[in-house]
Amino acid sequence: MSEKEMMIGEGIKFERIRRITGYLVGTLDRFNNGKRAEESDRVKHSVSGSLEHI
Amino acid sequence: MLTKIIKRDGREVEFDRSKIAEAIFKAAQVLGGNNYEMAKDLAEKAEAHVEQAHPGIVPTVEQVQDAVEHTLIEHGHARTAKEYILYRAERTRVREMNTRLMKTLEDLTFKDAVDNDVKRENANIDGDTAMGTMLKYGSESAKQFYEMYVLNPRHSKAHREGDIHIHDLDFLTLTTTCCQIDIVKLFQDGFSTGHGFLREPNDIQSYSALACIAIQSNQNDQHGGQSIPNFDYGMAVGVAKTYARLYTKNLAKAAEILLDKVDMEERFKEIKARIYAETGKKPLLENSGEYCALERPYLAELVGEEAERLQQLAIKYAERETERATYQAMEALVHNLNTMHSRAGAQVPFSSINYGTDTSPEGRMVIKNILLAEDAGLGNGETPIFPIHIFKVKEGLNYKEGEPNYDLFKLACKVSAKRLFPNFSFIDAPFNLPYYKPGDYNTEVAYMGCRTRVMANHYDPSREITCGRGNLSFTSINLPRIAINAHGNVEWFFEDLERKVDLCIEQLTERFKIQAAKKVRNYPFLMGQGVWLDSEALGPDDSVEKVLGHGTLTIGFIGLAECLKALIGKHHGESAEAQNLGLEIVGYIRQRMDEESKKTGLNFSLIATPAEGLSGRFVRMDRKKFGTIPGVTDRDYYTNSFHVPVYHEINAFDKIRLEAPYHALTNGGHITYIEMDGDPLKNLEAFESVIRYMKECGIGYGSINHPVDRDPVCGYTGIIDEVCPRCGRRDGEGVSLERLHKLGLYRNLNADTLGYHGDAAEEADRRPNSL
Ligand SMILES: [Zn+2]
Repeated sequence: MSEKEMMIGEGIKFERIRRITGYLVGTLDRFNNGKRAEESDRVKHSVSGSLEHI
Repeated sequence: MLTKIIKRDGREVEFDRSKIAEAIFKAAQVLGGNNYEMAKDLAEKAEAHVEQAHPGIVPTVEQVQDAVEHTLIEHGHARTAKEYILYRAERTRVREMNTRLMKTLEDLTFKDAVDNDVKRENANIDGDTAMGTMLKYGSESAKQFYEMYVLNPRHSKAHREGDIHIHDLDFLTLTTTCCQIDIVKLFQDGFSTGHGFLREPNDIQSYSALACIAIQSNQNDQHGGQSIPNFDYGMAVGVAKTYARLYTKNLAKAAEILLDKVDMEERFKEIKARIYAETGKKPLLENSGEYCALERPYLAELVGEEAERLQQLAIKYAERETERATYQAMEALVHNLNTMHSRAGAQVPFSSINYGTDTSPEGRMVIKNILLAEDAGLGNGETPIFPIHIFKVKEGLNYKEGEPNYDLFKLACKVSAKRLFPNFSFIDAPFNLPYYKPGDYNTEVAYMGCRTRVMANHYDPSREITCGRGNLSFTSINLPRIAINAHGNVEWFFEDLERKVDLCIEQLTERFKIQAAKKVRNYPFLMGQGVWLDSEALGPDDSVEKVLGHGTLTIGFIGLAECLKALIGKHHGESAEAQNLGLEIVGYIRQRMDEESKKTGLNFSLIATPAEGLSGRFVRMDRKKFGTIPGVTDRDYYTNSFHVPVYHEINAFDKIRLEAPYHALTNGGHITYIEMDGDPLKNLEAFESVIRYMKECGIGYGSINHPVDRDPVCGYTGIIDEVCPRCGRRDGEGVSLERLHKLGLYRNLNADTLGYHGDAAEEADRRPNSL
């Protein structure tokens, strides 16, 4: 197999940085169950019509 | 005659009659008895009783003890029996504690963090490493020791049962939470870390390195995070020194290149020193005119009429090189704070830096470059986890077009839209502004880590300042539980809340007494180096009692939303009535804090608890106690402090408006988050308008959350749904080297993780995301 055909990155996951209780984390693995549940429940806050507010 | 007995752990051992006699004798001794013969006799009677009650079997310890109680009462020793029962209960409690501790230690030893919530309680400590586990052994043992022997049993019970939560209980007898470190003051004349003396730094690189060391040293003296409230002002001193040095260096270089005059640097330095001695003037970034005029005649003696030209070249190159040195210093700081360890190597220090208001050219250079370093990320472009950046917004300085640091506010928004930091603090908020004195960083509010704030000072009203102060300890109240117990009776709710507040005040006060009894040498850096306000006046064996009062004793709360749900069926995101009641509840606790401060001269304050380690604990206990109550105990967490629940659909501006009044009430700290959809870099205007709206509504401290994803293979940072927009791979999939090379990505040899990078401009790579 030539170097060009070499596949890179198998098994490597995307990092997903999130803010939990004020601190940034790259993975939720090290968080306890309550905090993980809180993160997954979050809904987005619409900012439409934002310019009228300022 | 009994020969065997079954111990609690199930082992069958020889029966020892004398042990029974001794236990009876000890119980009798408490009441003044001293007749060992009688105790022996009663022991024999108890033994006969066992044989009669359980003929032919080997009895358990419990069965024998039951028989002893029975025998004592039967023979008219009721009071001795009572003592014996107490003795037995105490032994049981100790045994259970020991068993519980051993069980905890066993889990820490043999379970992975994935399966063990205790290991994951503090996400910043890697519970799977040797040092992380060792820290946990200490922490869990300390907690159980304090519960048994140190805490007032009433506080211990309330904590154990989840009415309140005593934060950082493992440090109960050891230290305090956090401190705002004044680096301007600390660096003057150098300082000692306890492991060696560090001279006053002389250039921006050393300033940045020393800032990290200060954070690390102080982290070892306290259990919470560490913050620098005046990062721009402090680093600016280093920038000025760097510029002055580079100016003279470049002057010498120019003389050598243009005039072939070698080794002039020492001569030029002498001139600089003389001018400084005579006039106090130095070469200044963006402002060297005055100095140059003073310098020119001396210079002319050495280089003739070329003096002015040399000066111009020196200014040009010194500015350029100072800028580069500042960037490198800021880059190094971010890298250091993400990799350096404290607390036995298992924890990266929780660090925060506040900046944004220094309008000097040096200060502006610092702010610009710390933002650019954050924007660039770590070695492979990873988003830095530390420090927490806090950009101080202030009208007149950086909020409006034309103000001196307005460009830096815009840059801060852009960086935050990419990296989640900086957060934004608002000096103009009605509760922050009264302390503000223009140009005095000590009067600018600064926040700590996730939210802590210190400002008012009942202990010394002439010192209502930020620097050298912090939180001493805090304890949170489980609001939903009081509400559930109230069964809709709001009046009763407030009565019980009063009892809980009383309990917390008492507990904080008792903890304060323990903390205040410590000596300066117990805090070698915090107190020994004068970091804490007024501690420089104390000797190593002085108690810290006199100065500790500058800190705050703080009550927090969890789950206002669930509390309101339980009380009146709606939370504050759902009805105006609930919002009013919410403000009344939080306002009540604040009022109690103010009264207590006035009464004691200590700084009792109210914090919107960040819920670290606590979000799941209360609700787990309450669900067990009360079952699943919709909107109250039906999720795995209680909502953070006064936040509108994260699952509630609400527009960003309504959320800000509803949460703002709670910022005014929570003087011990607060933060409001907005969750923004999509890639805010594509919508910077909306991002900025949210920040501006926070300011207009009187928010003290806020930030915007948005997804920040990264592909470690190609280095793309932004939003990744299913497929990486840069290299096209899916999560866990491979991508061909050919494709990476086609994209201009080559292996980064300095990378310590897999990473292919090129100069591929990331901005250009971004695609509008579907909304
Ligand atoms: Zn990719």
